Amino acid sequence: MDALIFVLILATLMAMWRGKRRLAGLLFAVSLVAVWMLFKHHATDALPINL
Amino acid sequence: MTLFRLCIAITCILATCAVLLGALWAQFGQGEFPCPLCIIQRMAMMLAALGPAWLLCRAARGPVDAHDFAQCYACSILAALVGGTVSARQVLLHIAPGDPGYGAPMFGMHLYTWAFVVFVVVVLASAIQMLFLPKRSEAHRVGLGARLSVLLLGAIIAVNAVAVFVESGFHWYLPDNPTSNRLIEELRSEVSEPSAGERESGVEPP
Repeated sequence: MDALIFVLILATLMAMWRGKRRLAGLLFAVSLVAVWMLFKHHATDALPINL
Repeated sequence: MTLFRLCIAITCILATCAVLLGALWAQFGQGEFPCPLCIIQRMAMMLAALGPAWLLCRAARGPVDAHDFAQCYACSILAALVGGTVSARQVLLHIAPGDPGYGAPMFGMHLYTWAFVVFVVVVLASAIQMLFLPKRSEAHRVGLGARLSVLLLGAIIAVNAVAVFVESGFHWYLPDNPTSNRLIEELRSEVSEPSAGERESGVEPP
């Protein structure tokens, strides 16, 4: 999963380099959402703080 | 003025690349395996650097205006907010007294604490850039330095993709506390395991 997201980020950079604005914007949004979903998957431990 | 703005964009990319290279040095030079949250922070840092990189790519193809600047730096701010959330969570995970933290500290702070500082700086720098947007579109020749900085960012992303694939192997997710490169371990165990024919004939593998 992690490697796939890195490949997605690289594809975003390549779309930017080639001047494809819509594709770059779409890939950026998908990458950002994928990063957030991956964080949600890993953020399972309880924080050791008392509020 | 556009040249000055493009120089700032190059500086933002190179500064992020320096931080990412530092993380790679900690991984390969010091033998520290990055945890899943560290990897996510690297991803967010790369996405934050894509903002100024996109600006340079647009400037290389024609005049850039206030809309281009705002769109690119808004991307950086969004990515920095995601990254800042992740690094803040990792800081909180190790905030209890007596917790040694994850990995060795560098210049007095752990890498995830430095990452939080970097994300705050990215938000501040992008916001300041957006305060001084150009009033009209301006064209400027994008030089070799700008192209090289974007290429360097691309190379760092590619190296991270390979490194994390070696670390995770053929698994969807990294373990919470990785201690080895799972791809290499799996390939080694594949090689050392006897084949079905060898098991039936009772031949010991070399």
